[in-house]
Amino acid sequence: MLGPLLSSKYRLPSPRPGSVPRQRLAERLRAMSQSTLTILSAPAGFGKTTLLTEWLAAGCADGAAVAWLSLDRRDNDPALFWTYVVTALQTAVPGFGDAALQLLASSPPPIDAVLATLLNDLDGLPTDLLLVLDDYHLVETPEVHEGMTFILEHQPPQLRLVLATRADPPLPLAQLRARGRLVEVRAADLRFTAEEAAAYLNGPMRLGLSDHDVAALEARTEGWIAALQLAALSLQGREDVSVFIAGFAGDDRYIVDYLAEEVLARQPADVREFLLQTSVLERLTGPLCDAVTGREDGKATLVALERANLFLVPLDDRRQWYRYHHLFADVLHAHLLDERPEQVAELHRRASEWFQAYGDTSQAISHAQAGGDTGRAADLMEIAMPVMRRERREAELARWMGALPDEELRTRPVLGVAFVGALAQASDFDTVGERLDQIEASLRSADGTWPEQPPPHVIVVDQDNYRALPAHIEMYRAALALATADLAGTITHAREALSLAPQDEPLARAAAGALAGLASWTTGDLPGAHAAYTESIAGLTSAGFFADVLGCTITLGDIRRTQGQLTTALRTYQQALDPTGPAPGIEPLRGMADMHVGMAGVLLERNDLSAAREHLATNQRLGEHNGLPQNPYRSRVVKARLREAEGDLDDALALLNEAERVYAGDYAPNVQPVPAMRARLRLRRGEVAHAEEWARERQLSAGDEPTYLREYEHLTLARLLLARHRLERAPSALEEALRLLEALLTAAERGGRGASVIEVLVLQALAHEAGRNAPAALAALHRAVTLAQPEGYVRLFADEGTPMAALLKALSKQPAASTHVRRLLAATTTAGTHASILSELIDPLSERELDVLRLLGGDLDGPDIARELSVSLNTLRTHTKSIYAKLGVSSRRAAVRQARDLNLIPGQRHS
Amino acid sequence: MTDVPTGRTPNVPAPERYEIRITGHLAPRWANWFDGMTLTQKDDGTTVIHGPVADQSALHGLFRKLSDLGLPLVSVTPTPGEAAADHTADPS
Repeated sequence: MLGPLLSSKYRLPSPRPGSVPRQRLAERLRAMSQSTLTILSAPAGFGKTTLLTEWLAAGCADGAAVAWLSLDRRDNDPALFWTYVVTALQTAVPGFGDAALQLLASSPPPIDAVLATLLNDLDGLPTDLLLVLDDYHLVETPEVHEGMTFILEHQPPQLRLVLATRADPPLPLAQLRARGRLVEVRAADLRFTAEEAAAYLNGPMRLGLSDHDVAALEARTEGWIAALQLAALSLQGREDVSVFIAGFAGDDRYIVDYLAEEVLARQPADVREFLLQTSVLERLTGPLCDAVTGREDGKATLVALERANLFLVPLDDRRQWYRYHHLFADVLHAHLLDERPEQVAELHRRASEWFQAYGDTSQAISHAQAGGDTGRAADLMEIAMPVMRRERREAELARWMGALPDEELRTRPVLGVAFVGALAQASDFDTVGERLDQIEASLRSADGTWPEQPPPHVIVVDQDNYRALPAHIEMYRAALALATADLAGTITHAREALSLAPQDEPLARAAAGALAGLASWTTGDLPGAHAAYTESIAGLTSAGFFADVLGCTITLGDIRRTQGQLTTALRTYQQALDPTGPAPGIEPLRGMADMHVGMAGVLLERNDLSAAREHLATNQRLGEHNGLPQNPYRSRVVKARLREAEGDLDDALALLNEAERVYAGDYAPNVQPVPAMRARLRLRRGEVAHAEEWARERQLSAGDEPTYLREYEHLTLARLLLARHRLERAPSALEEALRLLEALLTAAERGGRGASVIEVLVLQALAHEAGRNAPAALAALHRAVTLAQPEGYVRLFADEGTPMAALLKALSKQPAASTHVRRLLAATTTAGTHASILSELIDPLSERELDVLRLLGGDLDGPDIARELSVSLNTLRTHTKSIYAKLGVSSRRAAVRQARDLNLIPGQRHS
Repeated sequence: MTDVPTGRTPNVPAPERYEIRITGHLAPRWANWFDGMTLTQKDDGTTVIHGPVADQSALHGLFRKLSDLGLPLVSVTPTPGEAAADHTADPS
């Protein structure tokens, strides 16, 4: 959210009456349909905007939809710039770029993704789209130019880009020029020729000048249109036209000065006064002018000025907002600075107050700063802060605060701490500690207590916020500690923050709870982490920060899954999505997509591949832009696991590589690093050398102290050791694996990590089997299966493939074997593509079809089977066709083999 | 303390003085617009804008102001060493 957009910025200006047709330039512009970029580059007053609006009004855009955007200095914020661009495009093509707009609404907006989405949408556009960016010279931020360059480099043929600018933009113009992809209209092209000057002066301006006078004016102004306009205005109603022109032509004075003075001198005193005083305004409207001038004729004066053609440009059809022609505004402002320098600050203050009352805090602040009143600007920021936070406009807030001098922040603890928050959000921790110390020192009394009321030497506007400052300071200290990997410090400061946070400050409590939770989680204290996050969610819910509630829910789900509680994890995600739950009516809420990724992960663990696939599809439908920062990487990880379960190991590898590229931790500890996942996949693909290299890089050894943070890597290392043993027949590798697993088991049991316990037991079973210790192997596996059954774990077993299948088969023959063993066996023996068939097709096969399938496995031929079942041969054919289709086979033999693999019919042929 | 005009690293913060020449006579009233620099109208029809410039980005800001007014730039010259003399000589 970036606050209200000004619709006048993306409104195509209507052509002004009485302008001169410019056929030669229209020809030039026509070439734009074959070009990537068109630039109109010339100083102010060369008629760039007029040329474009007239050309467009004459329908010369060849049926392309036209979007217009007038830029201003605030558009140097990339988020705002692209929001305006997309909004402008939507005026041309309704509904265009909705996804990009949603991305832009997140904080901070992922600009790269925005641009990629835009290009994608442009690519699918059936019509041509012409985008004009007027006043592009006002853009100075490299980030915006980089984005524009990216668009130019990938520009789909549907898009025609037109920039009107006073200076050549830092875009790859030379390259485009060399490739003949650039249309340029420059000052030399834009200036009026003698014929055009005559057409203008004697046409719409009705001056009736002689050829000689026109030539003199044209020569003196060098065809500069703004100067000719001023000249025409000065000439209107004059008797001594030729004398005036002669005097003007023989003078060295700056043309604009000379002519504007002429124009100004002929205005009544009150109009002149009005023009000077309102020259501090970027945009004008009646009541605002009244506030600034202290008069009551604002609206009437504006209407009169426009009628007199006094360089006033209407910004909307209803004639509510105007601006002065840039050049004229500068002249007026220079006069003001020269004649009434003492008034300038006061005029800005009045404008600032008017905008404050009008509700445009951004303009109010901007005028306060232009008037040199940083104190007022800071006051306004402090007042606006709660609303800005609620509307997630922290980035804008941060820019405002960044423009304040450091001294101002030093005496304003509330703003100072908020600025620290902005720095922390941007991961810019360099000065955070020092700033917090300074603020605390400025507040604490000599006896070390926090004064109830702010001490006299500091300025506090927002008293409520003052009370929460001690908690906020500790909270940011915790964030700083976390950023420097000081976990003990994080927990200490976060607990301190929790104890200091006022009960009615849910946000402070929530943030401190999350930090404490994060630190507890990182150290492996799962119950502590769960309790802290639950507290945090309660705070966030009551503060209305629903997207953050979902962010914490991801963590809660992770914790439950690590604890081995799949059912609870699933319920956690589901509850968060409940439409009657925390965030009614907001749809789709950012973070919902992440809940689906979480559910897909759990369902995958249970080998419910089709349900997992569905949740991934829902995630995709909601879009990455509706995901939290971790979504891109998490969704790819789950997708990779799905592809792996389906037997496509190449796809799985590609997805993991992608996941690594888009990894974003979002402060969460990286407990399942993507490189370790890839090492596991490499092992499954038989690429042991790759996994060895990974282990070397990570400096892993079986003798490491088992910590929670490295548990996943150590479990991967155990698999590597088993593979090494298989490959090299080295008993030492097996011993190492067993020793490592023993240590991991103890640690996992102590930390209450149920999922890890099962995984260790599975690996122990495999290790014992490799060491030909069948009883130990079966004992470990039996324990694993018993623990896995209640929560329905399957893939922890199935992923281990053939050796696990053999073990499970042996276990299934034991008298005490549970039903879960058979389920696991089925899933494990049908690894690869079979697994997906299993999950998808077991249910759809009807009882009757199963009967047919059983008979197909015997020796009877078709007619005999039909007789056996008392059906016609045709009906039998219908059944078999349906069975073949469901199993994805085309012959009786293949169907029987498949059915046996899936344990649909007894496997008597294999021994 | 010596003021070396050339070979200066861009980091040196001391403000330089610049002499910027433009086409046309610009009235002295524009002095405040150009942050208090001195405007001198020359006989050859140009104007010299002269004064301290904090750094390169301030100089570019000045160019932008000139460009906004459509004032054609003739030359830009750093004028080191004059700082002291200028202060005493300039009564305004």
